[in-house]
Amino acid sequence: MPSEPTPLPQTQLGDIPAPQPITAAPATFRRILCIEDEHFIAELYSRALSKAGYEVTVIMDGRQGLAAAQTDKYDILLLDLMVPTLTGIEILRALRDPAQTPHFKAKIIITTNLEQREDVRADIEQQADGYVVKAELTPRELAEFVNNIVTAP
Amino acid sequence: MDHFQQTFKQIQSKTFLLVLLENIVIIGGWYLLDSLTGLAPWFIAIIVALAAIGLAVAVSKLAAIISTVPLKALWQLIVHLSPDQQSSVPPNIKGLRVGRELVTNLAGQIYQISSVAEGIASAARKDSIDMHHNFVANNLPLPLLVLDATETVQFANEAAARYIGSPSQDLIGKNVYMVLDMSFPSNDTFDSWLKGAKQNNATATGAWERVRLNVRDNHPTRLFDLASYYNKDNALGAETMLVLFDHTKQYSQDEQAVSFIALSVHELRTPLTLLRGYIEVFEEELADTKDPELASFMQKMNATAQQLMAFVNNILNVARVDADQLQLQLHEENWADVLNEAISNVALRAKVRGINLECTVAPDLPTVGIDRLSIYEVINNLVDNAIKYSGSSEVIKIEAHLTKDNMIETTIQDYGVGISSSVMPNLFTKFYRDHRNRAQIGGTGLGLYLSKAIVTAHGGNLSVSSKEGQGSTFGFTLQPYGALSAEDKAGNKEIVRTAHGWIKNHSMYRR
Repeated sequence: MPSEPTPLPQTQLGDIPAPQPITAAPATFRRILCIEDEHFIAELYSRALSKAGYEVTVIMDGRQGLAAAQTDKYDILLLDLMVPTLTGIEILRALRDPAQTPHFKAKIIITTNLEQREDVRADIEQQADGYVVKAELTPRELAEFVNNIVTAP
Repeated sequence: MDHFQQTFKQIQSKTFLLVLLENIVIIGGWYLLDSLTGLAPWFIAIIVALAAIGLAVAVSKLAAIISTVPLKALWQLIVHLSPDQQSSVPPNIKGLRVGRELVTNLAGQIYQISSVAEGIASAARKDSIDMHHNFVANNLPLPLLVLDATETVQFANEAAARYIGSPSQDLIGKNVYMVLDMSFPSNDTFDSWLKGAKQNNATATGAWERVRLNVRDNHPTRLFDLASYYNKDNALGAETMLVLFDHTKQYSQDEQAVSFIALSVHELRTPLTLLRGYIEVFEEELADTKDPELASFMQKMNATAQQLMAFVNNILNVARVDADQLQLQLHEENWADVLNEAISNVALRAKVRGINLECTVAPDLPTVGIDRLSIYEVINNLVDNAIKYSGSSEVIKIEAHLTKDNMIETTIQDYGVGISSSVMPNLFTKFYRDHRNRAQIGGTGLGLYLSKAIVTAHGGNLSVSSKEGQGSTFGFTLQPYGALSAEDKAGNKEIVRTAHGWIKNHSMYRR
């Protein structure tokens, strides 16, 4: 064992901080489109993201979601993979296909709860800007995740 | 026919000379006896007649020899060529004085006929061997395919035809990858193996488990183990042989079990995700509360939801381990970062039980090669266990250092009830729990089983030491990233794994 291990900050009873509102969203990248068909998830994400200073629009249908995303009114897209009429992966491919969606600039964050097949995963890794498993994080942590993506240089 | 005429004339001229000679001898003899001796004419006649009989015998014998010489040569030749008498001597045709041309000509024809017959005979022999092979191959209950050097199917037995669902004549002559559309569970595929074998080996054998045959519509999916033998110098041009061992029933049951569990887990995770989301809303709204009891209830509710989520994830991963479907993507990570993140995930659960987590990490540890989410599960399980068995003690020590074998070891030590040495060997068995603790402490016995599987899959080792009444120490080792083989170092360098997912490297985000 190497000498002199450096103690890291220890977690003491009571020092888990009470939740504080997270830092405000940056001036650019404020408009979020959330394509999500689970009402409660949509509600929780809207609330957390609004509190963090984002303007959130929720659409619960794949086809309408794609049409909205193509209007260029949004900076960030939160995309659930299992939505009705069009799957998330179809939306992702359409948005990344210049023939269908020219000049698409928004960042795409995939939100999902199921593991993906190999081919789908490869597409996501290539075409999305971020990926989260919904069960792995709370709405607040999602807002932090989005914050970190948009405030990065 | 010319040769026959020639031989006829040769025999005729030779017998003519003999008969002429005989006549001269007889007539001459008669004359000499008559003129030189005074014998009586009747006595001379008797002597000449006797001489004529003797000469006729000799001459006829000579004539017979002369006329049968070609026949004898032909007979010798035929005997020589007959399959059973290969050791006999061939005739000296060139030395023949009678019928040489005829015999030569006939010999040529006999040789030709004989070689054709030999061909027929050897073909018959070969057919019987082929029939033998076909009989064996076709009655072999295992699907068998033989490929040539261009990976074209040279032979497919009846079992293969049935298995693939096309008649074997439709398989033969096609590229193997057209005939067998196979999916392999890992990067170690048949075609990559064959490429390697062709470059590097004279002979090679390969084996794969849980191969999936992607079949056209109407045919059920097939799952099988595959064995293959490669031989560069096979005389018949049959370079590669494939044998399929069907396990469709067994493997699809496993897959169904996993997909059933995966779906159930998904159904459980969705409401749990929501529950945690709404608990968080309450925590935020009640952040300023002055009531410490309310605050602690909030934390306990949150910790309990987390615990439930962790358990649900355990179930899914145990099913994956059992079906051999646990897939890891090993990425380079800073161990202190990962460990702290993992501990902060379980800190609340420890805190609500009144337990402190103390973590010390040795400086300058090399980076590790891990699948982050899987390792979180290991730490989750080991810390949850330590919390569960801590009894009234108030601290759990977590410590990471480099071992002598250059592995990164992390130990999780509690000061609780400990484990008796009699149960230690069973500790990592599925569903095993210390019988004396079963009544007081809940759990399924999945955690250690799963943790061991995950750590082992990382190339590490999970160990335990314990003293009853003094607590237990669980330790697991991980390989430094630099020690991983190239194929274990997973994928996309652009992607940065984070606590809750990944983001693209271009945004330079690190938690």
